Amino acid sequence: MASVSLRKLEKSYGALSIVKGIDLEIGDGEFVVFVGPSGCGKSTTLRMVAGLESISGGEIRIGETLVNRLPPRERDIAMVFQDYALYPHKTVRENMGFSLKVRGIPARDSEARINEAAEMLGIGHLLERRPGQLSGGQRQRVAMGRAIVRRPKVFLFDEPLSNLDAKLRGQVRTEIKRLHQQIGTTIIYVTHDQVEAMTLADRIVILKGGDIEQVGTPDEVYNRPQSVFVGGFVGSPAMNFAKAKVEAGCLVFSNGNRLALSAVRPGRDQGLNGCEVVVGIRPEHFGPVVDPAVALSARVQVVEPLGSDTLVHFDVGGDMLTARMPPEARPEAGSEFRIGVDPTKIHLFDAASERVIN
Amino acid sequence: MTNTSTLIAARPADRGPPAWTRWLDLGDRALAVVLLAPAAILLALIIVYPVLRLGYTSFFSLSLTSGLPGEFVGLENYSLMLEDPVFWETTWNTVLITLITVPGALLAGLALALLANLPFGVQWPVRLSLLIPWALPLSFAGLIFAWFFHSEYGVVNDVLNRMGFEGIIWFNSPNWAFAAICLTIIWKTSSFMALIILAGLQTIPRSLYEAADVDGAGRIRQFFEITLPLLKPSIVVALIFRTITALQTFDIPYMMTGGGPGTSTATLAMYIHQNTVSFLDLGYGSALAVVMFALSMCVTAVYLRAIRTKE
Repeated sequence: MASVSLRKLEKSYGALSIVKGIDLEIGDGEFVVFVGPSGCGKSTTLRMVAGLESISGGEIRIGETLVNRLPPRERDIAMVFQDYALYPHKTVRENMGFSLKVRGIPARDSEARINEAAEMLGIGHLLERRPGQLSGGQRQRVAMGRAIVRRPKVFLFDEPLSNLDAKLRGQVRTEIKRLHQQIGTTIIYVTHDQVEAMTLADRIVILKGGDIEQVGTPDEVYNRPQSVFVGGFVGSPAMNFAKAKVEAGCLVFSNGNRLALSAVRPGRDQGLNGCEVVVGIRPEHFGPVVDPAVALSARVQVVEPLGSDTLVHFDVGGDMLTARMPPEARPEAGSEFRIGVDPTKIHLFDAASERVIN
Repeated sequence: MTNTSTLIAARPADRGPPAWTRWLDLGDRALAVVLLAPAAILLALIIVYPVLRLGYTSFFSLSLTSGLPGEFVGLENYSLMLEDPVFWETTWNTVLITLITVPGALLAGLALALLANLPFGVQWPVRLSLLIPWALPLSFAGLIFAWFFHSEYGVVNDVLNRMGFEGIIWFNSPNWAFAAICLTIIWKTSSFMALIILAGLQTIPRSLYEAADVDGAGRIRQFFEITLPLLKPSIVVALIFRTITALQTFDIPYMMTGGGPGTSTATLAMYIHQNTVSFLDLGYGSALAVVMFALSMCVTAVYLRAIRTKE
């Protein structure tokens, strides 16, 4: 097991910069998830840690060792690929044992490790099959087994669940988490799915355009997003955003709706007068009107009953917002109503920089 | 309104499809037969019939020079063949050419394919140089290499001389002539092998090599543990095609040596050509051709079996 440290890590192809100087310390045994939209540099960063992609600048350390120029096989890492990359002509046993054979581990030891890993993943009965005879979920487990038998310092997962159907994804996700609790090895995990990131990570690294947008625990990135991007990326349904102007101690929306700033930021509303802001409110933070000073007039557009709760899409002066309501709530489409907001859960971002206003 | 509905009711479409389309209402099996028939008839006409006719002719003494009608002689052509030293020599030459040039072209083709698969910035010169020998007609290749190996004007002897060796009179010695022919065939056919193997190489996902990198396997190990096993199907296909065409080798020795000196570089196909086209001895020529056909069928059967057990 080992820590991983990235310092000023850069990757560019000619003039095109993919990763723009990432600084990150990953603790020993930590489960870190890189998440972000396509092209944000998350996979490239992971592949640089693996040694599959050269580094344009900066440095990578695994434990105390500077690995910038080390080939993958000397980095003591194991990787689970998006397409699993199982050797199609080898049996599951040979796939899992290949790295051990290459490293000259005695057959008896290697056999024991394979059986142990197979046991852990529930694939003991598949050992003599070839990958072509396995289902997607089974292949996924074999790929993990191949990584586990190595007992590497760091596990790297490159979107390992994206080829599975939704139900299986949930199952395997739980297994990965259990596995980490069991073996405790450092894991760097790449995904574009924020649910995976939230459920698995000790810490989430949100990337955008080759830069780190925010690093934090799932709780931090959910409750204290540092930018409009993070707020919108984490959480489902996504955070609502509406433009507003600060006037006379109130957030004034384009349709004239007003929220008292004193309730949103008790004792901290100085200096914002005249500012253009983006107001961020999560769907679950709407509710019945408690304080008329923090409520909005809205017109119901669409109602989506989900069983566990009801999503109500409503219009506030041209901005479409979504509220998560109790399942029995059934407002009528087209009706006008007042909806309350939990003032302590409102996020304010600067309209120009889209960064949070503290 | 009434008019319209009368019109619609009167349309034949409402009484089902026209009678002439009934024949389409066949069972699946009959439909399959109907659809396959054109191809089957074509194959029967241009392949099955000539082969059967060949076998039939081989039981006759039929020489156009004699002016006599063909006479049924049973297996006489075949027993003549067994006592014919030229038949044995040309068959042996054919087998030898196959045994040398097929593995030779496979190795050269594999090397070329691996080279062409390297991540060059500019791919087209490599790909083009692969395509040119393949696209070149066999007889042209024979002519070109006949000049290369020419004892006085050839580039091969020129290079040998410059390196301080004595030039070789290639086409005067059975062994050197045979070597020159084999080299030419390998040059001409390795690009075909390379093209098939290159196609196979490109189906191997890059992530397998990345996984092997992470697993700790070096380049050589990756070649033997991943590349080669995954190329097996392509190699088998390339070998089948190459072996069958090698057994039918004709153009290159015909253009380079004409089979000489003597019959030392003549192949079975050349001997068949000589008997049928030059001597107009269709009976004996057919018997020879039947033997070559049988040889090709054996090779195909062996390879097909090899593929089936793999699957």
